[in-house]
Amino acid sequence: MQITPTLGLLLALSFIVSLLALTALIWAIANKQVHTPDQDDARSIFEPGEGAEIDSPARPHHFDTARSGIDKSSSGPVMWLIGMGVFWLIYGSIHGLAASLELHLPDLMSGSAHMTFGRMRTVHLNSVIYGWSSQAGLAAIFWIIPRIFHTPLRLGWLVNLGTLIWNIGVAAGVLAIANGWTDGLEWLEIPWQIDIALAIGAACFVAPLIATTRAREVHHIYVSGWYFLAAVLWFPMLFIIANIPGLHWGVEQATMNWWFAHNVLGLWLTPLGVGTAYYFIPKIIGKPIYSYAVSLVGFWALALFYSQVGIHHLIGGPIPTWLVTLSVVHSIMMFVPVIAVAINQHVTVARNLWALKASMPLRFISFGAVMYTLASFQGSIEALRSVNTITHFTQYTIGHAHLGAYAFVSLVLFGAIYQIVPRATGKYFPFPRLIAWHFWLVVVGFAVYFFSLTIGGVLQGLAMLDASKPFADSVTLLKPYLEGRSLGGGLMTLGHILLAVNLIALAFSKRTRDLETEKMVAAQ
Amino acid sequence: MTDKNKQDPRLPDETFEPYEEPRRIPMPVYWIAIALAIWGVVMLVQMSYSTKIGDKERASMSDQEVAATTPVKAEPKPDAGKALFADNCASCHGDAGEGVADAIPPLHASDVVKAGGASAITHIVMRGIGGPLIVDKANYDGEMPSFASVLDDKDIASIANFVASDLNGLKSTVTPAQVAEIRTASADLNPWDGGSGLAGLINGLPAQPASETAPAPSPDAAATAALAMHGTNEIWSCASCHGDKGEGTQTIPRLAGLAPAYLAKQLHDFKEGTRINDSMDYVVKSLSDKQIIELANYYGAMSSPSGARPSLEGDLARGEKIALEGDWTKNVPACFTCHGPSGIGVGDKFPGLAAQQPAYIAHQLAMWQGGSRHNSPLGLMAGIGKSLSDADRRAVADYLASLPPAAANAKLALAVSATTKETSNGQ
Amino acid sequence: MNRYLPLVIVSLAILSFATLLLVIIPGMQIAKSGASPGLKPYTVAEARGRAVYVSMGCLYCHSQQPRDEAQAPDGERGWGRASVSGDYAYDTPHQLGTMRTGPDLMNIGDRLPSQGWQLTHLYQPRAIASWSIMPAYPYLFAHKAKADPGDVVVKLPPAYAPKTGVIVAKQDALDLVSYLQGMKHDYAPPTDGLRDDGYELMAAQQHNNDAAKASK
Repeated sequence: MQITPTLGLLLALSFIVSLLALTALIWAIANKQVHTPDQDDARSIFEPGEGAEIDSPARPHHFDTARSGIDKSSSGPVMWLIGMGVFWLIYGSIHGLAASLELHLPDLMSGSAHMTFGRMRTVHLNSVIYGWSSQAGLAAIFWIIPRIFHTPLRLGWLVNLGTLIWNIGVAAGVLAIANGWTDGLEWLEIPWQIDIALAIGAACFVAPLIATTRAREVHHIYVSGWYFLAAVLWFPMLFIIANIPGLHWGVEQATMNWWFAHNVLGLWLTPLGVGTAYYFIPKIIGKPIYSYAVSLVGFWALALFYSQVGIHHLIGGPIPTWLVTLSVVHSIMMFVPVIAVAINQHVTVARNLWALKASMPLRFISFGAVMYTLASFQGSIEALRSVNTITHFTQYTIGHAHLGAYAFVSLVLFGAIYQIVPRATGKYFPFPRLIAWHFWLVVVGFAVYFFSLTIGGVLQGLAMLDASKPFADSVTLLKPYLEGRSLGGGLMTLGHILLAVNLIALAFSKRTRDLETEKMVAAQ
Repeated sequence: MTDKNKQDPRLPDETFEPYEEPRRIPMPVYWIAIALAIWGVVMLVQMSYSTKIGDKERASMSDQEVAATTPVKAEPKPDAGKALFADNCASCHGDAGEGVADAIPPLHASDVVKAGGASAITHIVMRGIGGPLIVDKANYDGEMPSFASVLDDKDIASIANFVASDLNGLKSTVTPAQVAEIRTASADLNPWDGGSGLAGLINGLPAQPASETAPAPSPDAAATAALAMHGTNEIWSCASCHGDKGEGTQTIPRLAGLAPAYLAKQLHDFKEGTRINDSMDYVVKSLSDKQIIELANYYGAMSSPSGARPSLEGDLARGEKIALEGDWTKNVPACFTCHGPSGIGVGDKFPGLAAQQPAYIAHQLAMWQGGSRHNSPLGLMAGIGKSLSDADRRAVADYLASLPPAAANAKLALAVSATTKETSNGQ
Repeated sequence: MNRYLPLVIVSLAILSFATLLLVIIPGMQIAKSGASPGLKPYTVAEARGRAVYVSMGCLYCHSQQPRDEAQAPDGERGWGRASVSGDYAYDTPHQLGTMRTGPDLMNIGDRLPSQGWQLTHLYQPRAIASWSIMPAYPYLFAHKAKADPGDVVVKLPPAYAPKTGVIVAKQDALDLVSYLQGMKHDYAPPTDGLRDDGYELMAAQQHNNDAAKASK
């Protein structure tokens, strides 16, 4: 009895290790920050004239990816990933909407086990996470990595093979879930037998990235590259450890479950979104990121702190106190990397607001980047015990999850798609107005969705904490907010359909960018 | 047109490469990081205090369980009996066992105790007793509950030996092992049937009145028992939730031994919508008025051991104080003022509380507070519910759960009048 | 940063450290504390019922982890005592859950022990509670003209009963109800039981403040 708290305290003070690592990092930066990474370091290695494609002194930070043939090497695999990603987006949105409707119209779809809420919701989650976000994020990775490394994508065929295997895995997974075959853990429902396919698919994505990285023509790795290169290794490690059958049991399985589920957000989807925003924001605006030192802090603090926050999903549960507290404390420390990323990204946008009007993709991406800041702040505060006791077990958490996975990651990826596709295919989107419609539908839809669940969730949580209210009260008071959620979800789904319409029309369109330019020249 | 880049001259050409400028980390980032880190360490240190409190609570829950279930082999301490008598017996029989004239028989220098000794006391404590009884030539006609479910073998032995030797000067004693034998033999037996019921137990028992003839079983007794135990095509059986012995569980109340008039009123209230519970609303819809009365009588006449035990981490001392004295700083009267000594219940309006399920009591008190339950006479319980805090509710609920259940009182049975409707409303 | 290998090695080392602290050490601590003494393994029917529970996704609306009195009134709602890690020793996949769109089910077998109630409620929750938003599970039941011997007939009010014939429970429904009836953790927790006691200090401080206020 005396030993337990002491042992717990010792274990929890491993937090100090994270703090020391952060201090060491900042100290190292402070002592070296006179160096400009990409100029000084590069110059120390390349003699003038040797690295011809790298910054020429006349036009520093310029490189023509199109003319060097780099975009051409990646456009095929990227378009396949985007196409399949958008398919799963639509599929997942429809299931999400249906699940939302079921919560306030419970007898609507009760005729079939496939359509019961518990399965609809699960199919929704797995198709949007593994089908949509992961694939659209990978598309962004395969587009950006060759560009920042000034070298064509290597092993492109392997990426295509990976896409094929991955999609077979996701399709088999959601079919299994709809038929009631599930591993039964949140975020890990896809049966482990099918997960083998996903793991093989993931390996097919990792190898080309490593090959491309090793062949890079630049010395310095741009910040997007750190996020991408780390994420593509973090994800397989998480995925494989979490899915080993027979290894996890009881409450240990619960801690593993939330270690995995939160790290899929923190060490997979977040780096995809942040890395993509880090590339496209300066790229579209034409101005640099605020500070190299700050991006270093942002990246390493994310790795140190985000990796240990998962157990805040089990606050007040049958988990050792020290472990829960450790995750709570790390959640609060997440303010540090989030503020760092916010400084870097928002300062650049805020100084160039005119660009938001000029570029639709930037509008999606900066909106998403702001949502990252808000979602992370919200998440940190939600992890405080005094707040969590109200919001845990309620729809508030669902609202928060969508703020992160949808308003942040998905919006950044929408912007990336609108930016990448015309350059990868050499065609314009046939219905440019639909892009603006898409933006406003998902932003308004999301606002309705988020505020419904946030307000409803807090009221639900307060009702459940009030012993003098019967449990039924927490259900009945929620109904209007659940209806609001369906409305918001409907608008968002409509927005996604517009994206799909534009992509399909583009696929069949014959008008290439070159043709357009010729026409314009002729008109002049 | 999509690619508006072309339209804005300020936008860069496609060849621009993102990069980061060499700027220092802004100072506020350092301050925020340091402040959060300090806060984090404080949190972690505080946590170890929380863990200690939690460990202590689990230890106390576990101790209660050990005390309640483990047969204790050790011989009882000599003065344990006096303290246990004061806690469990003195509230009715008086501090010195002097009894109450015409209501509660004496235990001090009592002819029945002298004739029966410690063993007879053990038998009575174990099963309870109800009906006419003559002690020291005075007539009594009351009910004493069984203490089998609230006292362990060692405690009962201590009490019996205390009453036999200290209050009556006898040499006769029982050991916990003998008590255990009596416990096994008494399992599932009804309370002793008044003084005449003791005839076989005590040699040389003073003359006792004849036992009252039990009311003739209702002609529909078998049908009522079937309804309670098996339900109908439409409704579940009462027993499937309230237990075979009507002892209840969690928020499902104990029904055994509650006054039939009280039970019938609650069922009618469910039917009329003045008391709300989804499951009960469902059930009463298909019960006729006659069935309601018969079920009320069925459970009112049932004697069964306590199925409750403290489980809400309530403060038992605080609960006892509220039950016995109330808390006038909060305008809360003592529970037992209305609900009778030891919470055995009074009349139609004040149900027995002893051995009621703690989650049920706490939940109902909370529902009175919130107004979801509002069917008490004169709104008495609403006022009390509003005055009790969460901790008080749990304290009083846990205390009541620690009491022995009241014995059933057959005299309270309701008559099934000829005018009682055979069918349920609206059917 | 300009080198690939250090980036990768440090990134993976950080995740390994997190795995050690969040999965491996807690796993060892939980394994050491073992199963709660009062806990019984699942019977065959209960285990089958648990598989139905998992496959239907009950987890997404029902938690299985009552909170402590220091945090929430779960005990007063009849959801049972705060659970400890040993209460889940036979669970895989774990079903702790993170939502309470419906009530906690850790002790549903204690709170609603009636097989009949559970069957009616699974067949059509709104037959019992008009406000319920739980899905109905009619496919766990069969409509028959007449019950065969051994069939468990579902008790239904006229509004939900079929015009003719009876509704009987399929094996899946009976198994699921066995599982729910077996969800009873009414024994005392082991003294060394592991759980998050983080709210105890807050509650104790609150209690002291109240006491101080009352004494004034």
